[in-house]
Amino acid sequence: MANDGEHQATSRPIIGTTDSRSEERIDPILAALDPDRERPEHVICSQSLTLSFGQKRILDSITIEFRRGSITALIGPTGCGKTTFLRTLNRMNDKIPGFRYSGDVTLEGESIWGPSQDLLDLRRRVGMLFQRPNPFPMSIRDNVVAGVKAHRIAKGKQLDVLAEERLRQVGLWEAVKDRLNDSPFRLSGGQQQLLCLARALAVGPEVLLLDEPTSALDPISTEYIEQLLRQLTPALTLIIVTHNLGQARRISHNTMFLYEGELVEHGPTEDVFERSREERTQVYVTGRMG
Amino acid sequence: MATIDRAATGKPVAARHEPASLATALRRCAAFLRRNEPHLWTWGGRTAALVPLVALTLTVLVLTLKAWPAIKVNGAHFLVGSDWKPGNTYGATVHTDGVAHPLGSSYGAWPLIAGTLQSSVIAIVIAVPVSVGTAFALTERIPRWLAEILRSAIEILAGVPSVLIGLWGALTLGPLLANDVYPVIADHMPDIPVFSYFRGPTYHGEGLLTSGIVLALMIVPIIASTTRNLFAQVPPLPKEGGEALGMTDWEVGRRITIPWVRSGIIGATMLGLGRALGETIAVAMVSGSLLNTIAPNIYGTMGTIAAALVTQLDSAFTDGTGFEVRTLAELAVVLVGVLLVVNMLGRLIIRRTGHLDAPAGQGY
Repeated sequence: MANDGEHQATSRPIIGTTDSRSEERIDPILAALDPDRERPEHVICSQSLTLSFGQKRILDSITIEFRRGSITALIGPTGCGKTTFLRTLNRMNDKIPGFRYSGDVTLEGESIWGPSQDLLDLRRRVGMLFQRPNPFPMSIRDNVVAGVKAHRIAKGKQLDVLAEERLRQVGLWEAVKDRLNDSPFRLSGGQQQLLCLARALAVGPEVLLLDEPTSALDPISTEYIEQLLRQLTPALTLIIVTHNLGQARRISHNTMFLYEGELVEHGPTEDVFERSREERTQVYVTGRMG
Repeated sequence: MATIDRAATGKPVAARHEPASLATALRRCAAFLRRNEPHLWTWGGRTAALVPLVALTLTVLVLTLKAWPAIKVNGAHFLVGSDWKPGNTYGATVHTDGVAHPLGSSYGAWPLIAGTLQSSVIAIVIAVPVSVGTAFALTERIPRWLAEILRSAIEILAGVPSVLIGLWGALTLGPLLANDVYPVIADHMPDIPVFSYFRGPTYHGEGLLTSGIVLALMIVPIIASTTRNLFAQVPPLPKEGGEALGMTDWEVGRRITIPWVRSGIIGATMLGLGRALGETIAVAMVSGSLLNTIAPNIYGTMGTIAAALVTQLDSAFTDGTGFEVRTLAELAVVLVGVLLVVNMLGRLIIRRTGHLDAPAGQGY
């Protein structure tokens, strides 16, 4: 799995764009091998999603599609609804008092609020990485397989194999292989975040939501995680909230700019940053608005 | 005018300045304290830290001194024997090892020790799940305004005098259980080991299980309110992490929230267990207060150390040799010993399981 990811990463430009992706897809052999070829091109679609907590409207009629295997950066000033939008995608907002929505969000063509949608399975398929590392109070190994155990994906010896595989995938194996039964809280912040990433990957998600995953980390860990995220595509679809515009430009194929709950602009990252159609986007991406 | 007069008489003007000099003295004093504040903290802290230790040591020491003759005479029999015979307090006094005691007196407190442990274990087995469940509901499930009301209700329950609970247990709860609940349980238990302990006869409501239930009721508020406060301090981020991974609320609670405060819950349980082991009057009212009988089944009448101390003290004073009072002191020493052992066990458990605990005060 790890080798697989590296191969893809080296074969693709580091600053990906949708153009470079579509070029890849032309290769007929790859296209034939692509397990996703029968499935809709967009994994997640938000259709005029309007969302409010009580009287306060947070998101206003957001329509956007997330292409399979892409990284989408979600940018915008503080309080613009980025995190709320992200958390809506795996229904983490449902329990908040006063939560109301209209419109719809679909995962593989099926509404995430649909009657046949199993909330727990939805969250397995749409994983999440948070602003700060949030390891569970259990051993490092148990952290990696916590979700796997909950979903009864594997058991017994398989768990050890899976834990090793995921820890290798995030490059943490060498550092923790001798202390798998130790507390995760003695790891550094960057290592803890990698552990959380391994934990999220272990349940086999299709989409990964990242809420400023590197904002609490040092530059070296940040760079490492960014590199890792690029390697996760195109197997996974990533949506990343970030305040770091440089990070958005470095890793994302597409960018969406939210302002006061409104989706102002979205498109290939380069276009949004270099050729913004909207005044507000331009003001924000050039750093004239924080 | 008066001051001028006084000045004229040649009396020291200082009299007028007395309040001022008092203020000066106070100021000097404050300055001195301020300069030496670090030392004050050091020594004040050391003294404060020693007070509980000194108090405990003195209590045990005084009790042991008081009990010493009884310890000598009763010997190991006191811990393993099952009799409580004051002997003939109006008859002959005999001497053993130079200690005077009535003829025929023989004390073995094993039934009391066993009863104390049994009733407390039952109380803990009932109280811990109830308390943790209550705390979980209060922090996670119930709307805040209702949770606040229930929380103060729990804290009030913690303050209800045990004699009231004991009275209620003896007059209402015990008969109710004995009439309507115990027979049902007893009739449905198979006659195999462990379960047969729950088979009849169910007696009349005074006994081991009733004591355990009453004790549980008394320690639930302690454990529940402590655990509630612990749960309230678990940061939301790990819990959200569990939810986002597709865990159910139960799994988040069991795998994240509870383990996050594991040591604290064990500590709260030890606090409750300490209370249960030492609880006196309520148990004296609902246990049957026997001295030399281990309950034959879970409904059987029995006694505990604390209950025996309070029920026997009066008659112990009728022992002219003072031996029975000394024996009660020995019983008290045993109780302290049980408490210490239980406490150490608790610490051992915390040390064994604590290495995975979340660091206290981790900022989220």
